[in-house]
Amino acid sequence: MMAGYDPGIHLGSSLSVLEIVAALYGTGRLKFNVANGAHNRNYFVLSKGHAIHAVYALAAAMGYLTVDELRETGSVGSRLQNHPEVDTPFVDVPNSGSLGQGISLAVGLALGLRLRGEPGRVYLVTGDGELDEGQSWESFAVAAHYGLNNLVTIVDLNNVQLDGHSEEVLRKGDLAGRFKSLGFEVFEVDGHDVAAIISALEKAENSAKPAVIMAKTVRGRGVPSIEDTAKQRLSRDEALRYVNNIC
Amino acid sequence: MLDLESLTPREALGRALSDLGDLRKDVVVLVADTGEATRARLFAERHPDRFFNVGIAEQSLVGIAAGLALASFMPYALTFAAFMTRAWEQARNSVDRLGLPVRLVGTHAGFADAYDGPSHQALEDIALFRVLPSFTVLAPADSCEVYRAATASAAVKGPVYIRVGRDFHIPTTCGLYDRFEVGRAYVVAEGRDVAIFTTGITLPFAVEAAQLLKDRGISAAVVHFPTVKPLDYATVEKYAEATGAVLTVEEHMVHGGFGSAVAEYLAQTRPTKMAIMGLKSYGRTAKSPQELYQLFGLTPENIAARAEELVKLR
Repeated sequence: MMAGYDPGIHLGSSLSVLEIVAALYGTGRLKFNVANGAHNRNYFVLSKGHAIHAVYALAAAMGYLTVDELRETGSVGSRLQNHPEVDTPFVDVPNSGSLGQGISLAVGLALGLRLRGEPGRVYLVTGDGELDEGQSWESFAVAAHYGLNNLVTIVDLNNVQLDGHSEEVLRKGDLAGRFKSLGFEVFEVDGHDVAAIISALEKAENSAKPAVIMAKTVRGRGVPSIEDTAKQRLSRDEALRYVNNIC
Repeated sequence: MLDLESLTPREALGRALSDLGDLRKDVVVLVADTGEATRARLFAERHPDRFFNVGIAEQSLVGIAAGLALASFMPYALTFAAFMTRAWEQARNSVDRLGLPVRLVGTHAGFADAYDGPSHQALEDIALFRVLPSFTVLAPADSCEVYRAATASAAVKGPVYIRVGRDFHIPTTCGLYDRFEVGRAYVVAEGRDVAIFTTGITLPFAVEAAQLLKDRGISAAVVHFPTVKPLDYATVEKYAEATGAVLTVEEHMVHGGFGSAVAEYLAQTRPTKMAIMGLKSYGRTAKSPQELYQLFGLTPENIAARAEELVKLR
């Protein structure tokens, strides 16, 4: 529905992380009704901020946003901006439009929580394309070096980025191997299987080392015309047909 | 009592942070493999649990500092000014847009690192941080002022950039005022014919220039601006009005820096004859900063000559 009202949303990316976000909020690890800055809780950093519409959709499904507000997404006067901003609800890190930066923010946040002796964890969702950014690895090295096991990273491994399939745009090599060599514990999972994601989260949370969940996903999943492509947009008519079929 | 004059600017910085760490438990210090070079080591020795080295990675340095600020800490991130600007987009998107109380401290600024050549000499940092809406920009003149500016920065609500040198300084401000106030300019000498505005280490050059001008019958005011942003507009206006001729001097490119800030204001409020002294090209490797000030014309003689020209144009 949001895609029908705003052609600017990143539909493909949002559909790729939907089950990951659902696993985090659906199990109560993350909560929609927590004020930013509250202590003794978990934090969420959606570093691939363009997928924020997955959070908006889930918030609406769980009763924290109205359908009327969803229709306004991407409007100048709406708090539902197309990347997390300072006034965007439900986000702990109101800046993740610029790729790579959410990763450093999450690492700093995890370092800060540990220094404060707070029990909360930081759940970081990043993309495989985002890992092209050198800054990502600069900060993952810090997480490993300081043994931040209160940081749980989930890589949305959808193998697509702006210019096409990730391996064709720029070779990624053995991403799991890169994390392992730094000192991360790595779990691999089907990123559209909510039960499998939850089970991986439990293992990651019990890891003595910083953990990363490599979640294999399909960008644009559920919408055949954009599935596994770099396309993010649907025509208004096509988008609204999906709404009519559901609502 | 701490003898600040005997310290180098970076030692004064390390001492200030170390003392600040005693007063405030929320202060944390981060470096990018520059603990020794920036003298952040002085903080690390006293507060090891609040000191983090992120390796040679400036983007990560600024981003992690912002994350620590989200966790309610007050981070000071230190590295060479020339390399801090590498993380400008992180300063924009992870710090400034969020208005976080992150303090970025760029050391070895200007020609302070003469020895390593132009790659290590930051001549653009004031311009780059001044353009970010939430940032406060400080450029102290000597060790006393580095200590006071670093200490005073803790009270600033939003992000701060502090420009610090290395070892060269000519002690000038120790007895000049009692209290450092962010956003305030300090009058060093009164004068009627021309006002010389300085920021950073060029202050003593201007003081000497005013003496030279006096011998030539020209009365020059010297006003020092350790805060480039927010600029002390009232003082800028007062001296522009009193003298009708303003010369700015900075160890920075002439475009976008302190002189530009003064010109932007005066052009819109009280058009005044102005000259902006600074650099127009990159530096060189040299045996000392002083050698570069000579080579690039940042000297009392040149300041006096430019001021004299300006007085004639009034």
